[in-house]
Amino acid sequence: MRRIRLGTLAVVLVTLAVPLSSSGQDAYRIGMSAAITGRAATGYAPTYEAYKAYFKRINDAGGINGRKVEIDYEDDRGEPQRAAAAAKKLAESSVLIVNASISATYKPLMTETEAAKVPLLFGGGVCPREAFPPANPLIFCSTSFGSKWDIIYALDFMKAQAGGRKARLGLVAQDIPLARIELENAEKLSKEMGFDTIPLVIVPSAAADYTPFAQKLKDDGAEWVFAWSPWPVEIGVFEALNRLGWKGSYLLYGHQPTQDELARLKTPNLYAFGGNSLFTENLPVHQEITSVVKGQTQHPAHYMAEGWVSAMVLEAALRKCGWPCTREKLAQAMAGVSVDTKGLRGGPIEWTADNHYRKSTWYKVYHWDAGRNAIAAVGGWTKLDIK
Amino acid sequence: MAQVLATTLVVASLYALLAAGYVLVYRASRVLNLAQGDMLTLGGYLLFAVAANVGGGPVLAIPVAAALAALTGFLIYLVLMRPMAGHPVFAAVLVTVTLGILLRAAIVLVFTDQIRHPAQLLGLGNPPRRLPGGAVVSTFDVLTVLTAAALFAGLFLFLRLSPLGIQMRAAGERALLASQRGIDFHRLFALAWALAALSGALAGILYSSNVRLEPSLDVLGLKAFAVALVGGLDSLGGVIPAAILVALIEVLTVRYGNPLLSDVSPFLCLLAMLLVRPWGLFGTREELERV
Repeated sequence: MRRIRLGTLAVVLVTLAVPLSSSGQDAYRIGMSAAITGRAATGYAPTYEAYKAYFKRINDAGGINGRKVEIDYEDDRGEPQRAAAAAKKLAESSVLIVNASISATYKPLMTETEAAKVPLLFGGGVCPREAFPPANPLIFCSTSFGSKWDIIYALDFMKAQAGGRKARLGLVAQDIPLARIELENAEKLSKEMGFDTIPLVIVPSAAADYTPFAQKLKDDGAEWVFAWSPWPVEIGVFEALNRLGWKGSYLLYGHQPTQDELARLKTPNLYAFGGNSLFTENLPVHQEITSVVKGQTQHPAHYMAEGWVSAMVLEAALRKCGWPCTREKLAQAMAGVSVDTKGLRGGPIEWTADNHYRKSTWYKVYHWDAGRNAIAAVGGWTKLDIK
Repeated sequence: MAQVLATTLVVASLYALLAAGYVLVYRASRVLNLAQGDMLTLGGYLLFAVAANVGGGPVLAIPVAAALAALTGFLIYLVLMRPMAGHPVFAAVLVTVTLGILLRAAIVLVFTDQIRHPAQLLGLGNPPRRLPGGAVVSTFDVLTVLTAAALFAGLFLFLRLSPLGIQMRAAGERALLASQRGIDFHRLFALAWALAALSGALAGILYSSNVRLEPSLDVLGLKAFAVALVGGLDSLGGVIPAAILVALIEVLTVRYGNPLLSDVSPFLCLLAMLLVRPWGLFGTREELERV
């Protein structure tokens, strides 16, 4: 009797297991390690939501090359040890791992994916230097912001706005490795470009009040201030400067909350630059995203832009990879991908064998136009060739 | 210098509001409430929830949010802390750690991680105010200082003059004698938790209206914990000079030293205090032995 019961149980288990494994083999298996919760989630959870909505639509329409796209999501909470564990787990079955988390998770993730020879796509966090030319063969990045190039663009923009005058420049970075390193580079570069640069102000993430940092910048006579960091620090220092009656201009990188915050503050001297167009432009692609994600996400539709572009790139790479799609084949396909971003970015994302960032990147600056009482672009897209 | 002093007063008021919660709970029950920072976050989200769902403007939303926070503190005692009576104190402290984790997770689930501005929802502006000497602060900065002053004045009057306050002091100072006099400890502990949640929530209501609201604001609670220890964990009066001292050193570090050190300056103060006077500025020596 006992033997019969065990036999029945085995048959049931095998019956259950077969469809599961066959569905996995018939689908593109992708892994994602993202800061879905935790202190860093503000900037990354929307990418996870965008991926879910994007590939639900793809799968509902029959998938890619007749195969579904199955994504395993792991919440790394922005913690390096969790990211390493997630990478180890995801590397077992995925043809590609997507990262949407803070830079502290990069090293462990890269180590694990390198060991398992799995391509790694940065789809929400800042692009690492390994994606820039000459790129690591397995590391790709679709995120709009890439430290080195952002800084070059930002300094050019401020120089042009200052009208060739030797402007006094203040720099603000949050106390996180990448922001500090890049703004220290900006400090050197700005001096070479003819700015009168005051020492970099580093703001701890747990600052209770941004006023002392703002006061330091104001007292040092900054005419322009440039911040490149997570949003709370970028905007916190600006608001404190504004309160102190500072009359200069402030340039920050425009993360997801940009359009809400420009409209809330209504201050023309606040400039936000970035690689994604704001949804205030109401392009067809913005309307498309808004309609697809409706009821599926906890964040506003305009938070989805970063994840949406990344999902578009992944879709193109999988189409090119065909079926069956191995890790090696996918990495090769990605190295030649070209994606029309339909206006979400200033141009296509094009990867080559040694450039996994993009052949050209585009930037646009927005601010509050008091005359029109609306958010307005300061000029059009500016193209920067990546070499 | 006027700006340094004004900023110090604002930061000190925020820390004092938070630190009062640590002291109230510790004085009454000898429990370190490590979820006090989460009370700040909770206060901000309660304001946001009331503003978004009930409306009625700030006159209704702020008192309702504060009352809900006090009720939450009361319920925390009733549901989580009261069953811990008779267990080692460290077990109760671990319960507060778990409570903090649960509160953070619940906040993300309900409100998401999006940055919010409850004051905007309530139609409140935050114009700058120019002070004598040329210092400038925001309207909510002024309100933070006034609220801290009012809360501490109210607490001192309550503990000195009201029968319940005197019972609370008695229970904190001579527990055995107080119990022999028939004082209802559970009622006092529940009140202490409600007041602690209220003070933390007031800090959260003001901070989220002044700066921003997001789930990770609880980190400010760590700095306030250092303030409570510097002042003396059983001394409400010690909180005020300790908050001013910690805030002044923090602001001066940013202004004239290395801004990076400002994050650790409260803990450097704490370390110095532990070396020189481990029971804090106004704490009692006896308390150290009990800790």
